[in-house]
Amino acid sequence: MLEFIWIIPLLPLIGFLVNTFAIRREREAGLVATGAVAGSFLFAVIMFFLLAALPVEERQVNVVLWEWINTGGFRVPFGLLFDPLSAVMILLVTGVGSLIHVYSIGYMHGDARPVRYFAYLNLFIFMMLILVMADNMLLLFLGWEGVGLCSFLLIGHWFDRSRVPPNLVPTNAAVKAFVVNRIGDAAILLAMAAIFSQFGSLNFFNVELGDTTLPGFIENAHTIAGKTFSIPGQTFFVTTGISFLLLIGVTGKSAQIPLFVWLPDAMAGPTPVSALIHAATMVTAGVYLIARTHEIFSPTTLNWVMWIGALTALIAGTASVAQWDIKRVLAYSTVSQLGFMIAAAGMGAFAVAIFHLLTHGVFKALLFLGSGSLIHGTHETQDMRKMGGLGKYMPITFATYIVGALALAGVFPLEGFWSKDEIIATAWSHGHFVIFAMLVIASLTTAFYMGRQIAIIFFGQQRDKSYHAHESGWLMTGPLLILMIGTVVGGVINLPGTHWLIDWLHPVMAEEAEPFNTTLAVITGVLAVVVVLASWWYYMRNAAKIKVGGKDPLYHYLGDIWEGMAEAWYFNEIYNATIARNYRRLSVFLARTFDPQGIDDMVNGVGRVLGRAASGVRTSQTGYVRTYAFVFLIGVIIVIGYLVLGL
Amino acid sequence: MVPTSLYILLSAILFSIGVLGVLIRRNAIVLFMSVELMLNAANLALVAFAREQANIEGQVIVFFVISVAAAEVAVGLALLVAIFRSKQTTDVDEVSILRG
Repeated sequence: MLEFIWIIPLLPLIGFLVNTFAIRREREAGLVATGAVAGSFLFAVIMFFLLAALPVEERQVNVVLWEWINTGGFRVPFGLLFDPLSAVMILLVTGVGSLIHVYSIGYMHGDARPVRYFAYLNLFIFMMLILVMADNMLLLFLGWEGVGLCSFLLIGHWFDRSRVPPNLVPTNAAVKAFVVNRIGDAAILLAMAAIFSQFGSLNFFNVELGDTTLPGFIENAHTIAGKTFSIPGQTFFVTTGISFLLLIGVTGKSAQIPLFVWLPDAMAGPTPVSALIHAATMVTAGVYLIARTHEIFSPTTLNWVMWIGALTALIAGTASVAQWDIKRVLAYSTVSQLGFMIAAAGMGAFAVAIFHLLTHGVFKALLFLGSGSLIHGTHETQDMRKMGGLGKYMPITFATYIVGALALAGVFPLEGFWSKDEIIATAWSHGHFVIFAMLVIASLTTAFYMGRQIAIIFFGQQRDKSYHAHESGWLMTGPLLILMIGTVVGGVINLPGTHWLIDWLHPVMAEEAEPFNTTLAVITGVLAVVVVLASWWYYMRNAAKIKVGGKDPLYHYLGDIWEGMAEAWYFNEIYNATIARNYRRLSVFLARTFDPQGIDDMVNGVGRVLGRAASGVRTSQTGYVRTYAFVFLIGVIIVIGYLVLGL
Repeated sequence: MVPTSLYILLSAILFSIGVLGVLIRRNAIVLFMSVELMLNAANLALVAFAREQANIEGQVIVFFVISVAAAEVAVGLALLVAIFRSKQTTDVDEVSILRG
């Protein structure tokens, strides 16, 4: 029965094709797309239990559907892998994906291009499933690029709008996301070339293909241990080289420093897209990639991974505090939480990273969908300064949002508490005290900006009275309620006493649960509650100072630091000043100067020289019959003269 | 019997007149007549040599030339009519539109 796992990605693909070629009406498109993903989810649940029924050491199904590429030595199967790690990823993608599809039916009602939207959403789910189910790097890369494409298409869904809040151009945001990701993807390509040169195969695990066995590079990672390569002046382990390239790819897709700048701009897309792609699933692909290939990550690279993750968590966390746009707060928060996951992976706690990935996928989807409900209910208002006092108009959104926010802040006993606490505890127990401090501060900023957001949005008085707020329909609040239940009970999958998830992932990660540090958990839990309450209280007290278009009350104390936080420490400006502007200058030079004066003149010059040479010869073509006849005669005389006189 | 050389001389004279006619005259019909003159000069030479050599083939070729020339005149006159319809003239210098 488990060999039928290919049905899981097939259903969204069918949904995509049907929506693309057959369906023209909004209602049908939504139903088909949702049905495809929901069916895929149900099937995945069945497969999950079938996998769980197997003995632990047999929990790895590798189904080769056909031979994808065969060019002599380079052979790649189109094979799907179903093991504990991909199983939980599939459940997250299809489960949260189904809810977001249902929500989209309500949210995208009346949109100009709903059929296209649902088709892309299905294509995204398909590509994401390919990514997490691939049994080799190339197929994973197909999914990796596919989700990137869908991200591009969906960020730019409103390509006909010149501006969307907060002052973003959808087409530019889409292109930015795509281009920034290219940098990471190029590194992944190089990593694949390196892997192939070392192992002769791109498969994760040994696979029978026809009469040969393709060696799996994860299974055989130990064979290149200690192998080195040199660039002038430095010698590295080969594993460091490969894993560092993979890390660059991860920083692109999972929005880490230095490539995180695309994610805040990606909020130009419809809100369900932000929830699905830019919070719950696609951006976690990098974490998945590290977890999947962690055998090849050398200690050197893991150290880098850890520092990048912790730095990102801190920087994005502080940036999130100073945002006014409701989705931008969540976007920077996502970058920060991804930093937590990456940091956990860098510390070698891959299962913990996956735990946070799963819980974050649920509560961040809840928060994004909640923000979508707010945007919907306030008639496309995204600036939090224009909101206020919305709690009484939108009770369901209010309740669910509070739960999501508290989970994100890490308040006991919501799922965010368990997963985030475990990451922080790992940093402590592994003796990374600087990382520990960075992560604690980052998690406190989390608590702070969620308290701030709740106070500004839901409490006090409505500051911009030009709209009449209303609760969203059931299609939108239903998924919110289901996700809220998931947020409350989600921590169950890896409670300190049972640690089901770590045991479940043990065949892949070979990772043991760490003893629960109760003191630390109590301290971080209490701190989270205190900071949430403090920031909520502060913004409640200073509610009168918040004006539409005005400054934050804290700006008075922090000044330039606040400005820096609001601009995410000027990463965009630095890139603009160093790379983007110079690159544009180069492009303009090539387009305006080099191309017309260099290339065109060269080509035209050849033509002109030939033309001038030809104009001398063309006078011989008089068009008079007698001229031709005369030349003809002379020719005949010469030939005959030659023949007769034998000259 | 008249020696062959005289026939050849006559043939050469006729041919030269034909060439000059083609080179000098501008009327398309005269041009055609000149071409015919050249063809028949060649015919005359062929027949003269055939007689000297007592060879029937030279005479046969002449019949071929005459029939081909007839066809050529038919096509040529058709062209001439077409040119005249569009240009209202038979002056070949007026149809020098292929000048480079």
